[in-house]
Amino acid sequence: MNSGHKQVKRMTAFMRINHWVVAICMVAAVLTGLYIGHPYYQTLMADGAVDKYVMAWNRWIHFMSAIIFDVSSIVVFYLYFFSRFEKPYKKLIPSLKNIKEFFNVFVNLVTLNRVKKFDSSHADSFNAVFFFIFHLLLVWMLLSGLQMYVHGLASGISAIGAWWPALLHLATDWTVTVTGGSLMDVRIWHHYSMYAIIVWTMFHIYYQVWRTIFWKEGDIAIVIGGSKFVKEDKQ
Amino acid sequence: MSDRMEGVKKLFESKSARVETNRGDAYYSRLFEQCQARLGELRAQEPLNRLDFSELLAEQGTDRRDFMKWVSATTAMLMLPPMFAPLVAEAAELMNRAPVIWLELQDCAGNSEALLRSDGPKIEEIVLDIISLEFHETLMAPSGHQAEKQLEDAMEHFKGKYLLFVEGSIPVGAGKDWCTIGASGENFVDHLTRVAEGAAAVVAVGACATFGGIPAAAPNPTGAVGVMDVIKGKPVINIPACPANPANMVGVVLHYILTGQIPELDSLLRPKFAFGYRIHDNCERRAHFDAGEYVEEWGDAGAKNNFCLYKMGCKGPMTFNNCSIVRYNEGVNWPIGVGRGCIGCSEPDFWDKYAYERPMADAKIKAPTGGVEKSVDEFGLGLLTAAGIGIAIHAAASAIAGKKEDGGEA
Ligand code: SF4
Repeated sequence: MNSGHKQVKRMTAFMRINHWVVAICMVAAVLTGLYIGHPYYQTLMADGAVDKYVMAWNRWIHFMSAIIFDVSSIVVFYLYFFSRFEKPYKKLIPSLKNIKEFFNVFVNLVTLNRVKKFDSSHADSFNAVFFFIFHLLLVWMLLSGLQMYVHGLASGISAIGAWWPALLHLATDWTVTVTGGSLMDVRIWHHYSMYAIIVWTMFHIYYQVWRTIFWKEGDIAIVIGGSKFVKEDKQ
Repeated sequence: MSDRMEGVKKLFESKSARVETNRGDAYYSRLFEQCQARLGELRAQEPLNRLDFSELLAEQGTDRRDFMKWVSATTAMLMLPPMFAPLVAEAAELMNRAPVIWLELQDCAGNSEALLRSDGPKIEEIVLDIISLEFHETLMAPSGHQAEKQLEDAMEHFKGKYLLFVEGSIPVGAGKDWCTIGASGENFVDHLTRVAEGAAAVVAVGACATFGGIPAAAPNPTGAVGVMDVIKGKPVINIPACPANPANMVGVVLHYILTGQIPELDSLLRPKFAFGYRIHDNCERRAHFDAGEYVEEWGDAGAKNNFCLYKMGCKGPMTFNNCSIVRYNEGVNWPIGVGRGCIGCSEPDFWDKYAYERPMADAKIKAPTGGVEKSVDEFGLGLLTAAGIGIAIHAAASAIAGKKEDGGEA
């Protein structure tokens, strides 16, 4: 470690594992989701249809990654409020302090690091809001995805009981109304939202790299080793 | 404000497509008694025409056995247990006690055609023949003032009792004044509202009458809407599809005769017995869908082997209708059976949102930004490009600014 730098712990081991699980799930969900929307490769095996389950496997992976994705998000949601390490909701409350910090971090980004009037050693409001947007997008993907899923359970029964489709209808039927009134609208918006999530990821990766380069505090290492390094004199 | 509250309430209470196929013995025995009482009442009534059902059947060469087969199929279609079969048979015979008025508005008469042009005399057709069709613009002999007189008479005579079938959409926008009907030049909205006034229930048949259909497709020059957007405070039953399946029209009338009530409806007012199931789940090509075997272009090896039509734009996965089960023209065939995809004709906005014959991701539809039509993927890639350009500019600017800063510090 450079002299004059202090190590600051920013992510627990659990948070880091969670981050990478989510990242892998996202890639898997995008790849399989694009196939479900428009099968972009052909099944070229000569076996009968019963032996090869290409679309079915794609859908299986899509559901599974979505479920892991969602469960991890629920855990993260819990941590928002009850984490013993850091409670992100504190950074989301639109208090004067948070709004000021959000604004300052944003100014730092658009002035290309010329102006930096906030303490970059701890989590900041800008990122907290940014991640919150991601979680909202995920909730939307979850609910719109389950709405499409429940179409296949039209009989109202499922392997785990009638409560499951009933719950899905209760929780997701409104997505049809808000997207435009037809089942196709839910599909279209589920697909658009995927692009929103990719855009989100692009900016996320870019911003972390940018911080690493310009803040010179090793931010990119947070998600691997759990800590970053802040100049002593700043503290 | 209260409107908004209502809207939110409706959003969370909206009845889903879920179908209750078994409601328990207690429910069915109660219903059975109700139906029996109802049929008894009807039998006591004077028939509206002198057509006799069994005579008609005999004339058309349909024997009792065929009829009973049809009865059990129809009982199953209505999601009633087998003990209802004798009642359904009786209801079919009592069809001549149901006065029906049929209006045609902005339509192509396709639903009337679907009824009339089947390949041979079918039981459904006979059942619909025997319905007391009091007024049907396309089928009746009189015209002009005479026709209108007939309508007036029917409305007066069967006030509160007739079923009103509506085919075609209703222009409420710019087209409201262009579209008039009858010798007095009444516009469609007034015409429909007036006739619906005394109806026991309004049955909208076909995609146009239910959700506006093709006349309502973008840019919807006439401002076309479906019946349920015009008629308030009356039971409305939607039988969408282009054309509506005669089996479902008969089903609704039979249900009405049998129980005196309209069948259970989903959130789009479609009878659940007909629109409770998804086409995709009852499609004969489904194994190919799961296997990833798709027709890639018309007439290819996949098409010859009956592969799934998903990549040719089949919308079976988002369409609820029973045509994969009852099919058309007495079970002869149906769209996917003949080798073309489903175009989702029983769903709202089907022409704009379903019928583009390619997968949704490639379809040219209106982008959320409005303006030119783009495919969903084109729009998404545009979004990604815009984000990429933004990031590139910021990165380049940061790099240049960063260097300057370094220079300044040195
Ligand atoms: S042809 Fe259409 S309805 Fe049939 S399995 Fe394929 S996508 Fe589904």
